[in-house]
Amino acid sequence: MKPFILRDLVDDRPEDGVFRVNRALFRDPALFELEMKHVFEGGWVFVGMATQAERPHDYFTSFIGRVPIIVSRDEEGVLRCLVNVCPHKGVRLVQKLCGNARRHVCPYHSWTFDSTGANKNIKWQKSGCYAAGFDEENHDLASVARFGEYRGFLFASLNPDVPSLEDHLGETRKLIDLVVDKSPEGVELVPGRVVFTYAANWKMQLENCSDQYHFTSTHPSYIRILDQRAREKVDEVVQSSIGAADFWQEDASGVTGGTMSFDHGHVLNWGVMPVSAALPEFEHADALAQRHGVAKRNWMFNMRNLTIFPNLQLADNASSQMRVIRPLGAGLTEMQTWCIAPRGESAQARAFRIRQYEDFFNPTGMATPDDTVCYEEAQLGMAEQERPWLQGHARGLTASVEGGNDYADMIELKPARSVLADAQLCDESLFGSYYRAWAQRMAEVLA
Amino acid sequence: MSGPLGTADVAALLYREALLLDRLDFDPWLALYTPDCLFWMPAWRDDGTQTEDPDRELSLIYYRGRRNLEDRVQRIRSGFSVASAVMPRAAHMVGNVLSEPVDEATVRAESSFIVHVQDVRSNRAHAYFGRYEHELVRREDGWKISRKVIRLMNDVVPTMLDIYGV
Repeated sequence: MKPFILRDLVDDRPEDGVFRVNRALFRDPALFELEMKHVFEGGWVFVGMATQAERPHDYFTSFIGRVPIIVSRDEEGVLRCLVNVCPHKGVRLVQKLCGNARRHVCPYHSWTFDSTGANKNIKWQKSGCYAAGFDEENHDLASVARFGEYRGFLFASLNPDVPSLEDHLGETRKLIDLVVDKSPEGVELVPGRVVFTYAANWKMQLENCSDQYHFTSTHPSYIRILDQRAREKVDEVVQSSIGAADFWQEDASGVTGGTMSFDHGHVLNWGVMPVSAALPEFEHADALAQRHGVAKRNWMFNMRNLTIFPNLQLADNASSQMRVIRPLGAGLTEMQTWCIAPRGESAQARAFRIRQYEDFFNPTGMATPDDTVCYEEAQLGMAEQERPWLQGHARGLTASVEGGNDYADMIELKPARSVLADAQLCDESLFGSYYRAWAQRMAEVLA
Repeated sequence: MSGPLGTADVAALLYREALLLDRLDFDPWLALYTPDCLFWMPAWRDDGTQTEDPDRELSLIYYRGRRNLEDRVQRIRSGFSVASAVMPRAAHMVGNVLSEPVDEATVRAESSFIVHVQDVRSNRAHAYFGRYEHELVRREDGWKISRKVIRLMNDVVPTMLDIYGV
């Protein structure tokens, strides 16, 4: 018998104009355990960037769901994603976040592996009086079942039975291109990783990234500072990109942006941003138009928040951020965050990008704390109660259309659904894509 | 005060800064800084090294110019930041103060800090700890902080961390 009934958790009835999510999805510890197994350990997840292990024998460590992994580049330059666990006693093999090593020696009994994961030594094997059965076993590090790269973005799946990475990413590859193609040299992570936790469910972060509705409500203290900085133009204050855009201003007219949903749970929300010096990319605006055409260049300047379900978010708004969501419990989530930037940009553009990043994105900055505190307040409200259904997935239901629109067509982008919005529409129907993908990955345990 | 600042005087200034932050008394706290001050909390590059070049690497906080600190204070006081609506309570402990005069009008100091922060909203307490590096300079109206580097050791931030919490 399957432990949960889908329609009790996600009330998805497009014919009646209803899409609702039950609070239990954010709270239930039994459901959380199943999510770890089926959502995070049962399908494609983002694991890191190829630039995090650039030279032979470079490696970095992370987790897929609850399983420790190591991404290692071998002598020949081949990247592998391996389970970071010694087959002997199950000890995590490599403890460091990143490094360079030809050999990895288990700290417990010195079993040794090379940068391909092959076992090179079992201490005192000949004197070990092992039976034949032991010799027949594979003593190498286990490979993660599926591992793939798209333009430097690395994805893996512990479950072999998944679509190809190409299929999984689908049309969102064109949105990743917008990030990577900002420079002919591609992108890199700016040194300095910022990690924070919040005491709420991982889906709060999943939604918030694509939630245009919260910006003017959650961040008025930051917006006031942006306004003030724009008015005063004092050299020493951190300058702002988002202050120069009007997609979020309630009195802006016409189409200011919108949302797009893609297969497998990926979503984009976006806003029109002018090609202006308010963005660090402006130094290469003409070159980008020549290389990629004006339409694609203009899209590179638009505000874009892209989620690749279930754990990667690429935010191009006040600056450029890569976030990785790591659920630790039904009510506890870890966020790993980096500034992601075009390689080879000028020192001035880089510094400008970093300054804006710190002010907006950091848990020590002026915007993210107001988000994470709201997530925690929401978690309190997820307690079981008479009215279990949230009302936060309903905006935009009547504006959502199948396929794309003129803006998508400009870069031949073919979303499954899209919404064109004025500044006040603030679509929530795109969240439906998250929960439909969630339900697909959870199908085994949902009746 | 003439002549270089002794360690006891340096420590007294650091304690005063800590007290003002504990009291959330931001105006006199801001007045401790020079207008062109550096206020910098580097991030960690990996397990063991911190970022060193703030224009090429990420920091947790990096401001050059007191005006930016004034922006932070303004946000805290604005009434429009939910993270600052129920103000956390903080208690700074500053110790192990070592100082070294650079010249008649400049002193550098290193110290250790622990800041216990009670997040009143959620009834959770957290202790942030690390080292401070201060540069103090003599101005007409007394010694001021021209540079403060905050080397935060436990950099995995539970939910949020603001200027009064380190």
